[in-house]
Amino acid sequence: MEKTITNEKAEGDSSSEGLLSIKDLTIVYESKNQRLVALDHTTIEIEKNSLIAVVGESGCGKSTLALAIIGLLAIPPAKIDSGEIDYKSVNLVGLKEKERRQYRGTEIAMIFQEPLTSLNPVYKVGDQIAEAIVVREQRKGGQPVDSDIEVMQKTYRVNAPDFPSRLPRIRRGALAKLLREETLDALKRVRIADPEQVIDRYPFELSGGMRQRVMIAMALAQKPALLIADEPTTALDVTTQAQVLKLMKLLMNEVNTSILLITHDLAVASQVADRIVVMYAGDVVEDAGVYDMFTEPMHPYSKGLLSCIPSGSKEKTRLKPIPGSVPNLAIEQVGCKYASRCPNVMNICSTKRPRLIEAKPKHKVACFLYGE
Amino acid sequence: MENDAQGVDGNILVTTHLKKYYPIRRGFNPFGGGGRRFVKAVDDVSIAVPRGKTVAILGESGCGKTTLARAVTLLSPPTEGEIIFDGQNITNGRVNYKKIYREMQMVFQDPDSSLDPRLKVRQSVAEPCKGLLGRKEANINSMVISSLTAVGLTAEHADRIPSHLSGGQKQRVAIARAIAPQPKLVILDEPTSALDASVQAQILNLLIDLQKNFKLTYIIITHNISVAEYLSDLLVVMYAGNVVEYGPSAAIIAKPRHPYTITLISSAPIPNPWKRNLLNTEIKGEVPSAINPPSGCKFHPRCPYAEKICSEQVPELREITPGQFVSCHFAEKTG
Repeated sequence: MEKTITNEKAEGDSSSEGLLSIKDLTIVYESKNQRLVALDHTTIEIEKNSLIAVVGESGCGKSTLALAIIGLLAIPPAKIDSGEIDYKSVNLVGLKEKERRQYRGTEIAMIFQEPLTSLNPVYKVGDQIAEAIVVREQRKGGQPVDSDIEVMQKTYRVNAPDFPSRLPRIRRGALAKLLREETLDALKRVRIADPEQVIDRYPFELSGGMRQRVMIAMALAQKPALLIADEPTTALDVTTQAQVLKLMKLLMNEVNTSILLITHDLAVASQVADRIVVMYAGDVVEDAGVYDMFTEPMHPYSKGLLSCIPSGSKEKTRLKPIPGSVPNLAIEQVGCKYASRCPNVMNICSTKRPRLIEAKPKHKVACFLYGE
Repeated sequence: MENDAQGVDGNILVTTHLKKYYPIRRGFNPFGGGGRRFVKAVDDVSIAVPRGKTVAILGESGCGKTTLARAVTLLSPPTEGEIIFDGQNITNGRVNYKKIYREMQMVFQDPDSSLDPRLKVRQSVAEPCKGLLGRKEANINSMVISSLTAVGLTAEHADRIPSHLSGGQKQRVAIARAIAPQPKLVILDEPTSALDASVQAQILNLLIDLQKNFKLTYIIITHNISVAEYLSDLLVVMYAGNVVEYGPSAAIIAKPRHPYTITLISSAPIPNPWKRNLLNTEIKGEVPSAINPPSGCKFHPRCPYAEKICSEQVPELREITPGQFVSCHFAEKTG
């Protein structure tokens, strides 16, 4: 870690609570004939032990943000134009892939929307969780160990010949027992009923909710400091969604991790988040504590989103949808990207881009209605 | 066709003991295997859809709501039971599909897969008019334009192909195509679940306007409780192929009686950080297999009120309060 390029900025007020800070991050997708700005000078702070929800509609850049943090962006077509992702005072943007890999999983883990496509269909779920545990042990102590055999020798004191190097066959001998115990613990932690059965199943034999639990177990087996969850419950039913969200919230405190929850559903965000970040067309338009966001949403887009949620029956209230649609990101926008749909649009909105400013304590908004 | 003597009858669609079973092919079994087995996707569903109203069918994936829609529209004809549509039994004898589909249309969940990617919007919307009504070209053209206008699109959109439209516009085209032959009943299968929140609100408003303007009856299949509550007059809650609760939407949402409905409503996220219902609900287990459902009441393994009788006897759908039917042995106790 010492070798890495650190961009330490000794800022006076940066409290010890900070975990990850994204500063001025701009990511574009470039192809021969167009240039799409997916993230436009994004700034987000993630504190220790908090659940932050990034809310926005499809195409607002929320998944690009997640992939950028964990370092899974396909570069090219993606390109990081500017900005930093500072994790424990290391700028992740400048790292080489080899160094970056040391963070992935053990420091920052991620779960995806569709667990069936992110689990390996030909390995038993127990082996897949065991793999995560092996990787964690491998990286313990800072020095990366190359082969599974060395890890096993060091952590579980097994002689190399006893230990088959392929993971699917780990479950033999003394080592197997220890690793199996730990895998079972990981499954128990996510409240899977009879883990002894589930450990030997293949992903297709599990229900959607169980699969997502396995994904969470795998991610948390590495004890990451930050868990990114990209639409973790969108593919699930409401009752299962409730179970999974509740579990995530519980585990957050048990394992001492922060969660960055990416969702399109403001209702879900309101139920679990400590802070909500609203994104629109690549911009963070509002960033506030969950209670502030719901008592007093400031940005017209946040207000619009809130009034789009159907509640009650059609006789009582008519929904007030946001007129128009999301702008084409391939076309360079000069002013505020929301100007064409905004009910409170002013002259300045079409000529100048509003910056994200702290309009009230801990309540940031990017809109000319609130100064500048 | 416009026989008003029957038309004044309150219900446009009635199903009685409707069943849809899918046989399972089994592998070689040296011991005989004990006969054929079935996935009971829809098991004994009797509902009535009043004219001009909106009925929402609510349930989780695998509960049989889409199968019910497909059975009602005869896209996959029911295994057993009767469907009376507009006073006529459409499940026995020779069926005049043209006549049925002139009056009953369906909007599918994902406009990307229900619209032909190579047909222009104009051609897609014209298709049902040509096939069902057999009108002349000029006439069809005006029908297409008027139904596109009704859904908030313009003649300019008519010459585009689906890939040149946004998600919301595609769903509008799908709705325009359904209302083009001027049906009486429109069945919408998850009409907004593929859409973003702001677009969903636009489509919901559109559906309400269309219902008023064209005197449509809707059956809306959804897993989204707030959409169901917002649009529907009557609510049908399904679980594992059965109707567990049925009645006026407002009454059910305000006071659900079936333990499953209670669970479902309490696990729906509400946009209110002060009322974190999601984190306070206790839900155990998952939706049972449709091949080997639990005995008796299918919800009993997950039910907090379950007693011995629940695993032995299938509860009947009983009227607990006027209009509200519940299939639970202890429906009086749950409230």
